[in-house]
Amino acid sequence: MRVSLFIPCFVDQLMPEVGLDTVRVLRRAGYDVDFPRDQTCCGQPAFNTGYWDDARPVAERFVSVFAAAEVVVCPSGSCTTMVRNFYPQLLANSPMRDKAIEVGRKVYELSEFLVSVAEVTDVGASFPHRVTYHDACHALRELRLKQQPRELLRNVRGLELIEMPYSEECCGFGGTFATKFAMISRAMGETKIGNAEASGAEYVTSTDPSCLMHLDGMLRLLKSKVRAIYLGSILARTPPTTDGKGRFMAMDGAR
Amino acid sequence: MSTAAAREFLRSAAKKSADLNHRQIIRRSIDHYNAAVVRGRATFADWEAARERCHEIKQEALNNLERYLLEFEQGVKERGGQVFWAENSAEASQYITNLAVSRGVRKVVKSKSMVAEEMHLSAALEKAGIEDIDTDLGEFIVQLRKEPPYHIVTPAMHLTRKDIAILFKEKLGDVDTDEPQELVAAARRALRKAFFSAEMGISGANFLVADAGMIAITTNEGNDRLGTSLPRIHVAIAGIEKIVPRLQDLALFWPVLASAGTGQTITCYNTLIGGPRGLGEVDGPEEFHVVLLDNGRSELLADREQREVLSCIRCGACLNACPVYRTVGGHTYGTTYSGPIGSVLTPHLRGLNEFQHLSYASSLCGACTDACPVKIDLHHHLLENRREAVRHADRPLSERVGFKIWSWTMESPKRFAMAGWLARAALRVVNAAHLDGSILDPARSWAKNHAPLPAPKKSFRELWGKANGTN
Amino acid sequence: MAQTDNASRQRILARIRTALRERMVQPAPVPEKLIFPRVVDALDRFQKECAINITECVVTSDLHARAAGIKGILASLPAGDIFVQDSPELRRTATEFADGREIRWSSEGPPLESSQATITECEALVAQTGSVLVSAGCGGRGASIVAPVHIVVATIDQLVPDLDAALARVQSRGTVSANSYLCLITGSSRTADIEKILVMGAHGPRRLIIFLSQS
Repeated sequence: MRVSLFIPCFVDQLMPEVGLDTVRVLRRAGYDVDFPRDQTCCGQPAFNTGYWDDARPVAERFVSVFAAAEVVVCPSGSCTTMVRNFYPQLLANSPMRDKAIEVGRKVYELSEFLVSVAEVTDVGASFPHRVTYHDACHALRELRLKQQPRELLRNVRGLELIEMPYSEECCGFGGTFATKFAMISRAMGETKIGNAEASGAEYVTSTDPSCLMHLDGMLRLLKSKVRAIYLGSILARTPPTTDGKGRFMAMDGAR
Repeated sequence: MSTAAAREFLRSAAKKSADLNHRQIIRRSIDHYNAAVVRGRATFADWEAARERCHEIKQEALNNLERYLLEFEQGVKERGGQVFWAENSAEASQYITNLAVSRGVRKVVKSKSMVAEEMHLSAALEKAGIEDIDTDLGEFIVQLRKEPPYHIVTPAMHLTRKDIAILFKEKLGDVDTDEPQELVAAARRALRKAFFSAEMGISGANFLVADAGMIAITTNEGNDRLGTSLPRIHVAIAGIEKIVPRLQDLALFWPVLASAGTGQTITCYNTLIGGPRGLGEVDGPEEFHVVLLDNGRSELLADREQREVLSCIRCGACLNACPVYRTVGGHTYGTTYSGPIGSVLTPHLRGLNEFQHLSYASSLCGACTDACPVKIDLHHHLLENRREAVRHADRPLSERVGFKIWSWTMESPKRFAMAGWLARAALRVVNAAHLDGSILDPARSWAKNHAPLPAPKKSFRELWGKANGTN
Repeated sequence: MAQTDNASRQRILARIRTALRERMVQPAPVPEKLIFPRVVDALDRFQKECAINITECVVTSDLHARAAGIKGILASLPAGDIFVQDSPELRRTATEFADGREIRWSSEGPPLESSQATITECEALVAQTGSVLVSAGCGGRGASIVAPVHIVVATIDQLVPDLDAALARVQSRGTVSANSYLCLITGSSRTADIEKILVMGAHGPRRLIIFLSQS
């Protein structure tokens, strides 16, 4: 199976390591990966702000770019949500509507793809630290991902997974919400950081780099001991051995 | 943000977001509620099935609203009650005030009604020289403090026992402690006098039961029962959307309302009233009036996409689930209905242009939708309100232009790559010169609350191209 | 009193009619699912729920035991009249439990502030929630809310498994159409409006006692 990468626009420009780590993990899981260079953005920023007419052509373009893909994997729950859950409504009157629904069926967030499609829960990663998991809102409530990221983390060598209080509470990013209602966003971020610190974890991780960008910015500003790291970046870390390829196990024992 | 309401919201939100003490109090209250809900849920074999059935019943009610309202009206009239249909708040207030004045009413006892708040009924009564007393303990407290209720279900959620003790000492006199038991007893003493002397009792209605021709009121305190039994006139006010088709439906809605509202199995008193004192009955008011309020609801009914918003049973669960509500509190919204339901509903009831900011003041986390016992798709309706705001209301010109440019940029990978490169270059300059947060920083509003954004030299696509020889 | 002119009524109905011309697509009906666990042993469940609600439930096998129980409760109350629903049953047993207390019958009027307790019958008892369903016909509206103690006398045939059955019962028997008022009572009046701390006896009775005769 060939995986086509859907790299969120802000990841492409501001956090390329998230994309690179996603590629590493997918390759280690045995997949060929391609990156359709024609992609730009899924349209979420405009859609979320109410500019559906401006978002529509961008969404239609996305559908064309990925129409021929076998399967699409995205390092972001919120961008995956946009395509799978919101394109049908945004493109309800568009000639591309049916194609959009088809594409929506084959787009997956990274942890969702690994566990539910590839049936891989151990990617041979090593990350000997105390880690707490933040349930990003779209991943949790729109894609219904709760156990999958945790399963992957539990199989990372040396990683101690700690649950923080209110892990399901929003971190306060919310796209333009973070700048339009900055003081509320900040307070929500402070609450999330307080909970992460209270858990005793060294790292906070999530399926969504957007949340992590927000938390990272605040963690550094507040000089917290906790650091933010993308889930895929943890999974990309291999033990410091000579075998750089790492080993992994599929659930049915194959490979 | 140009309207007065929006500016006031921002001002209050900033103040409350920074108030750690206030946030602590709200957090404690919500933790309490969450623990109770877990216990209360145990009485359901299948909570999801309960939600689906409630949603279904409410859709049936709304789809057939005319028929059920007429059936309800008929039942009330058959028992000697009267029904008045009010197009708007002013008409409803007018009817009630005129009624009170014409009957020589000097004192009114009120039990919990969000609609009375919506109508600003207290102000109208006061203007007519009628004393108006809120009898729900939480409402009584905020009324004494001359402030609006903080929360649909727990109006005095933001106050500590000390706050209340001080208030009661000043206003009631016979209080020397902050023990909740004693404070409640003091309120009971004061309110008893009112119940026995008031000429009119005003109540809300949680449900209008069509086939029984009765209103249903739910309380734990019982203040509604005294207020609707002792005074000689009872006026019940409700929005037209409060209809449920059958009395049997309450076998589901009563436990659901209790569970979502307070985490109880069922609320202490669920009262059904269909008329004034009946022939042969021991007691009861001489007159029973039901005021049905439209005030924009029939317009929302016409909105096929958002009609389901009228299914709301005013349980307050979405407020308790909302991280924004938890941060800024109920007063910040500045509207009768706060929290997620308020943010969805208010633009429809009171104007999109003036209240669109409430639909934007959300991170769209979706916790409200998950919490709603009648399965209203709340956070998606916020998105729809935003779409309507862009189409029909005032949005900042910079934003409109900004998204046109954004759309043009995103329709071409070359333009996107160039724009990204420029943005990163600008960020690098700003960061290096330590100008982040200054007027020259394009990411200024971000920089206020975050350490500088990363500004990598190469984007992912550049790195991919290099690694895969496609650059 | 003649209805005031209500021109808005027609306008509101017209708007509703127009709004509904384009109906919502009614969702496929939810398959019959068990929403509440079935009540297996109604009496047992009723007693358990009463315990949780802090409702005192006294099961008696004969009427003398019941009268003695009521007498005992009344003896513990401060001086003041007892308000009693004027029913043939209660008239018959009043001499046994009154024990010198002044009785104010519902036929004389509603209970007063001075009433120390009220004694009424009921329309049904609900096992699912440990509730009592009363109507205006059970001594009036004030009978179950004014005094600090409310005593209910009921018989086992009035005990129904759940809310569904209770509401069906009062509809099929005509109780709903014959009364202006019904109330489902579960436990004592309470409030948690102060710091979410539960306080009993807000505006209504602090004690609710149910005497359930098995005969």
